[in-house]
Amino acid sequence: MTWFLRAYLLLVIGFIFLPIVVSLLFSFNSDRFPTLPFKAFTTVWYETIFADPDFWRAARNSLVVSGCTCVLATLLGFCTAYTDYRYSFRGKSLFLAIILLPPTIPLIIIALAMLAWFSRVGMSGQIVSIIAAHTVLTAPFAMAIIRLRLSQIDESLEAAAWNLGASEWMAMRNVILPFCKPAILSSLFLTAAVSFDEFTVAWFVSGLNKTLPVHVLEIVQGTIDPQVNAIGTLVFAISITLVAVSQALIFFRLQRSANRPTAAPT
Amino acid sequence: MSDTKFVQTKRTFLKTGLASVALTTPFVNRAWAQTVELTMLGWYGTAEPDMVGAFEEANNVKFVPKYYAGGDNMLAALAQNPPGTFDIIHTDAEYAKLLVANDLVMELDPNAYAFDDLLHDDFKSFAGHWDAGGKLYSLITRFGHLGVSYNKDVLTAEEAASYDIYWDKRLTGKVGHFDWHLPSLGQMSLLMGNASPFDIGTDAWKAVQEKTLSLKPQVGGYFDFGGTFSGLKNGEMLAMVGIGDWVTGILERDGTPVASVVPKEGGIQWTESYSIAKTSTKTDLALKYLAYTMSPEGQVKTAQMLGYPGHAVTKAGRALLNEVDAAEAQRSHQVNGDPQDPITLINEGRISYRDIPVQQSLEDWNDFWSEYKNS
Amino acid sequence: MRRLNLYALTFRLPIIVWQALFFIGPLIFVVAMSFFVVKNYRMVETFELESWAKMVSRDYVWSAYRYTILMAGGAAALATLLAFPAAWFLAFRCSARTRQAAILLLIIPFFTSYLVRTFSWYTLLAEAGVLNGALGVLGLGPYKLLNTAIGTLTGYLTLVLPLVVILQTVTMANIDARLIQAARNLGCSPARTIWTVILPAGKTGFVIAALFAFILCFGDFVAPFYLGGSNPPTLPILIIDTTKAGQQWPRAAVVAVMMMLTLFTIAFAAIMFAYRKRASR
Repeated sequence: MTWFLRAYLLLVIGFIFLPIVVSLLFSFNSDRFPTLPFKAFTTVWYETIFADPDFWRAARNSLVVSGCTCVLATLLGFCTAYTDYRYSFRGKSLFLAIILLPPTIPLIIIALAMLAWFSRVGMSGQIVSIIAAHTVLTAPFAMAIIRLRLSQIDESLEAAAWNLGASEWMAMRNVILPFCKPAILSSLFLTAAVSFDEFTVAWFVSGLNKTLPVHVLEIVQGTIDPQVNAIGTLVFAISITLVAVSQALIFFRLQRSANRPTAAPT
Repeated sequence: MSDTKFVQTKRTFLKTGLASVALTTPFVNRAWAQTVELTMLGWYGTAEPDMVGAFEEANNVKFVPKYYAGGDNMLAALAQNPPGTFDIIHTDAEYAKLLVANDLVMELDPNAYAFDDLLHDDFKSFAGHWDAGGKLYSLITRFGHLGVSYNKDVLTAEEAASYDIYWDKRLTGKVGHFDWHLPSLGQMSLLMGNASPFDIGTDAWKAVQEKTLSLKPQVGGYFDFGGTFSGLKNGEMLAMVGIGDWVTGILERDGTPVASVVPKEGGIQWTESYSIAKTSTKTDLALKYLAYTMSPEGQVKTAQMLGYPGHAVTKAGRALLNEVDAAEAQRSHQVNGDPQDPITLINEGRISYRDIPVQQSLEDWNDFWSEYKNS
Repeated sequence: MRRLNLYALTFRLPIIVWQALFFIGPLIFVVAMSFFVVKNYRMVETFELESWAKMVSRDYVWSAYRYTILMAGGAAALATLLAFPAAWFLAFRCSARTRQAAILLLIIPFFTSYLVRTFSWYTLLAEAGVLNGALGVLGLGPYKLLNTAIGTLTGYLTLVLPLVVILQTVTMANIDARLIQAARNLGCSPARTIWTVILPAGKTGFVIAALFAFILCFGDFVAPFYLGGSNPPTLPILIIDTTKAGQQWPRAAVVAVMMMLTLFTIAFAAIMFAYRKRASR
């Protein structure tokens, strides 16, 4: 029974990883329209994208977007997590709902809403529009990670600081922030990675300032060639680095209490 | 640490983020430092290096494209981006009149272009490019013909010579649509015997709808630009409605056994033009590019375009193509005296110019298209 | 409970302002937009039922609606079933290290481009593709997988299966091990244990996992478009068609509002069901 389940798990993981491996392989296939049999090994698609100013422009936009998004989302996530940790007040569940709701609304609806809203307020087609949208989408993840960390703090620590004459701000600076540092770092990487991969909303609101995933979408919609796989492989490498760093921070820095997995960062 | 310090920390946080981003900018930027950017709304591939690279280099300019497929997409892109976003608008000829009607494009000087050199008289005063007062707004640049596109391993050219082949048993589940109402419904209209496929009355329109719906069991999917290519390439689709050599030409170059024919019911011509947005601040450069597309060199590029090939519209362009790339000229029949010369087909009356619906609204056609896809 | 001061507001206000500007605002605007009209390619802000009347009276909207719910529901059910054995193994039958490694592996896909993975499936599922090639060796096929419901489901599962496995694993790992041990000691078969102990105890987690799967599939346009060939289109494709080609933002907004209402209803029902009369605790 156990070996059967083990094999089944491998099958599931295989199903999940098959497309990732295939895109890696096909990024080195010389055929323009990827089919079998594999024609010949080539690095031409990587050379194509590196020589393509549109790729670099999109990469730069993606860097700007995910760079700004992760800072903003983590900041907002931290504020919300701290508020949830420390205060209870009327309407708190509503307060928490408006930050935690975005991931439950289909991206296509958020995309349409953002497109219409931004054109209405004269913000359409700009990098900042993507950043604003991505911040809304990623802040809940930041909130979850930081809230998890805050739940492990000894509540008397902050109070002790006050008793010793520290102001609330000082306690924040010297107690809470240092304690949350690994979670904040982890959140920065995680939200950056999520933003780096998001394409539906970015596609709708980006105008001419397309990000890397939107560039990929346009290749799939248009010229469709293995550049897609090459870019996918690169993006994968970048994202995985971000996630690895983030995970390392979670696994090795956080003293995880085993029976509190409800807000496990995913 | 004082109270304000923390607020500052937040700001520093933000600043550091922005600064680090700003620092990487010049590195990524260097490839096109100090060049003027020319924004263009165009069909897929029209601003790729093979088309604009030489012009970019000669004029120290960089094209920033926004791609679309189909005139309705183009209108949407114009509406969804702030005015002034695009300098050059590459458009389907039949949508050019909508650009003029909505006062979106600037007037051009007819004397700047060699209209006498155009291959066909119809091109000289192409519908929608000039307003009633004889002012020019759009410059014709390339064209091609739509017919039956098919897999040569399954069908012969003779079998493909009628739109009826779409209903053939061998093609069940293997007939694809390029996801745009105009070309597909235009072909259905031709099949129903309408001499002007886009200018049809209520009954004829109804008949076209019924005929189209009867094709549904054969249909394997509705594809965007890229999906159309790969569907034919990997054999997933054996015939495609609403396209022509602009798709199969590329695949043929790539060695795929596909071809397009203009069937006995007649074919549809797609025509593409360039206009300059009224809001453009770089009109000099944009005008220069328009002139370039009409030059023999620009016309050859249009015929060879990697994204999708089109026919040259000028005699000088065709002559140069025959000189520098005889193979492509032969393949696409752009040779004087070739019985399948696209100009000859027009003269024989086998070609209708694609148009927006005359007696119905674009919305009616679009609506029916949605209904058909969901039927 | 402390009084509201500058300090408390500093942490409370930013998110409220931000979400109001960039989340609540846009959502309310979409609802309002569904009552606008388009004249001469320009949107006019008014209050008319034109778009609603138009969309609600169209059969194709409802067939897309039924199809989308059917496909997303099917994918959620399939993912729940397919994930269960794997999650069960991870929760009960393996070492902590294996579990941690497996969960890490399951997290990785979230950070690869879903678009690129779909594009890979496209090459895999084609009739001349890898899968049919492999089946051909066994003397089977070729099967038409691309541009069918199977293609769409494959894409949906790629999107949600890892998430469902993770959520189910976490759910089962949290069930009191003594309950299961007790069932064993009382002579329950594994199947009976699952039915009488694990499913009731983990109901909330299972339902939430399935709900997430449903929501993600319900809103995804990539799988039904690229793997299902838009044949027939789903609601997200309808939204894209009406915004990107038809230019009818108000009609797209109608579809969006219909989707939101559906989701809220289903989510509410699911959560009510999940939290009703929990077996343990």
